[in-house]
Amino acid sequence: MATRTINVDYIARVEGESSLQLDIRDDAVEDVRLSIFEPPRFFEALLRGRRFEEVLDIVARICGICPIAYQMSGVAAIENLLGIEVDPQIHALRRMLYCGEWIESHSLHIAMLHAPDFLGYPDAMAMARDHGDAVRRALALKKAGNELLRLLGGREIHPVNVRVGGFYRMPRRAEFAPVVESMKQARDYAIATLRWVAMFPFSDCTRDYEFVALRHPNEYPMNHGRIVSSSGLDIVAQDYEDEFLERQVPYSTALRSTLRQRGDYLVGAMARYALNRDRLPVEVRALADEAGLGPMCRNPFQSILVRAVEVIYACGEALRLIADYEPPARPFVTAEPRAGIGYGCTEAPRGILFHRYEIDNDGAIVHARIVPPTAQNQATMEEDLRQVATAVLDLDDEQLKANCEQSIRNHDPCISCAAHFLTLNVNRS
Amino acid sequence: MIGGNRPTLLVAAIGNPDRGDDGIGSAVARVLGPQAPAGVRVHECGGDVLELIDEWAGCAAAILIDASNPAGDSGRVRRLDLVSSRLPADFAQNSTHAFGLAETVELSRALGSLPPQLVVYLVEGERFDVGAPLSSPVAAAVEKVAEAILDELSRLANGKED
Repeated sequence: MATRTINVDYIARVEGESSLQLDIRDDAVEDVRLSIFEPPRFFEALLRGRRFEEVLDIVARICGICPIAYQMSGVAAIENLLGIEVDPQIHALRRMLYCGEWIESHSLHIAMLHAPDFLGYPDAMAMARDHGDAVRRALALKKAGNELLRLLGGREIHPVNVRVGGFYRMPRRAEFAPVVESMKQARDYAIATLRWVAMFPFSDCTRDYEFVALRHPNEYPMNHGRIVSSSGLDIVAQDYEDEFLERQVPYSTALRSTLRQRGDYLVGAMARYALNRDRLPVEVRALADEAGLGPMCRNPFQSILVRAVEVIYACGEALRLIADYEPPARPFVTAEPRAGIGYGCTEAPRGILFHRYEIDNDGAIVHARIVPPTAQNQATMEEDLRQVATAVLDLDDEQLKANCEQSIRNHDPCISCAAHFLTLNVNRS
Repeated sequence: MIGGNRPTLLVAAIGNPDRGDDGIGSAVARVLGPQAPAGVRVHECGGDVLELIDEWAGCAAAILIDASNPAGDSGRVRRLDLVSSRLPADFAQNSTHAFGLAETVELSRALGSLPPQLVVYLVEGERFDVGAPLSSPVAAAVEKVAEAILDELSRLANGKED
């Protein structure tokens, strides 16, 4: 009986620290363990006792690449709790912010982290020598996304301008002029990027995912919508915990989510696209068609195409929102604390991000719960790995490792976001 | 001589001024600002260092200032020529949200967009706490680094290279 153990001690080109172990017996993958050893973050615990107004600046620190997502889910939950309705233009500015984050996050992942896998390079630096134009486009796209974050968020990393009830400072219309110019060019670069990645060789792989994403009556989802799935789930954020279960596995600091009724599921760009393609503008759908994407993409290796489509959409959507922007009369509405529980769920670049906060009558956080996309996808990533490895078991160990690492990067996991605090039991006699 | 259509010289101060010794670049930039010769652009980079590739594109020379990790000699100043050498490995920070300075320089090198002269002044930090001021050893290095950079800018502006 032949056994092989493949260890990837440190998975590169993902955010955070993780490793992978594959146990192979004869011609079958016996066990797959995606171990997240990023240290516990304790964010939910350190929120306790802080005032509700502080939450957005604290949760923005969870992630350097998707701080907006944490601020948007956080603000949605707290405004839900306090019964705050904000001006439609504030909604529009928040959606613009999300566009900026999707653009810079997806563009970096597509060109710098994922593309080298398809083209046979060890990293983006090596790839840049032969694909300089593609890398320069990605840098320009990232810069355009950052500009939007700087204007609306105050700075591109850990923005500081979002507050409960609105923003601390509203941008003037004139301030958007340079952003419009770079965003128009960014949209052209995004189209060129989609056409570039559409030429990549894609492994055959079809997965029967249950896709989970937000769905809105008339928008491609970012800040608002019901949580729906390809198997018929259709709930509001308040019901999230009735349908989803988080549990711990001993080899990972990330909790793993499953649907209580059906098990593993997938969130992120592929899920959004599968459940909301009809919410994309006609011209974006045409570009998706041209790239070979059907109404639904079930090949995880082609997630790079879906992200590229979303970058095109986000550039166009930002331009549309800027064109329609009229500064509201007030930058924010004031919020008075009251005891209660609030729920928020928005679409981070990597998928739905759920927040729940309980506050007391003085406005102090009593309890916080944050479920990031990577924790939700962890079980699915392991099943992807099992299938990918099974299909290429005849490869040598190095090639098998490369295939597995690419499989993980298909989902752009943000390990730091997923690292959670462990339950600590102390027995004293 | 600097002037006419000649490309500018760039001084880029890297780091977050609200994080203790990470603010060394900003502190030096504040000293340099009023004294910088004509044709010198002083840029503060407190966020995404990848954008430096765009900032130094077309420049005749770029001088960077950054804090380095504590290694037992706070305030120590090192000058590295990044055209002829590479940054130490601890400047690599490969993650999805934070390409470090080392990756940024190497990416620019691969793209063929490094300026003809690129140097970095590294000042060894002691503490990087939120809201903290510069530590005493790092604060003591501010004038020294600013003077060294002004000398270097003066030589570059007069067409004298190392």
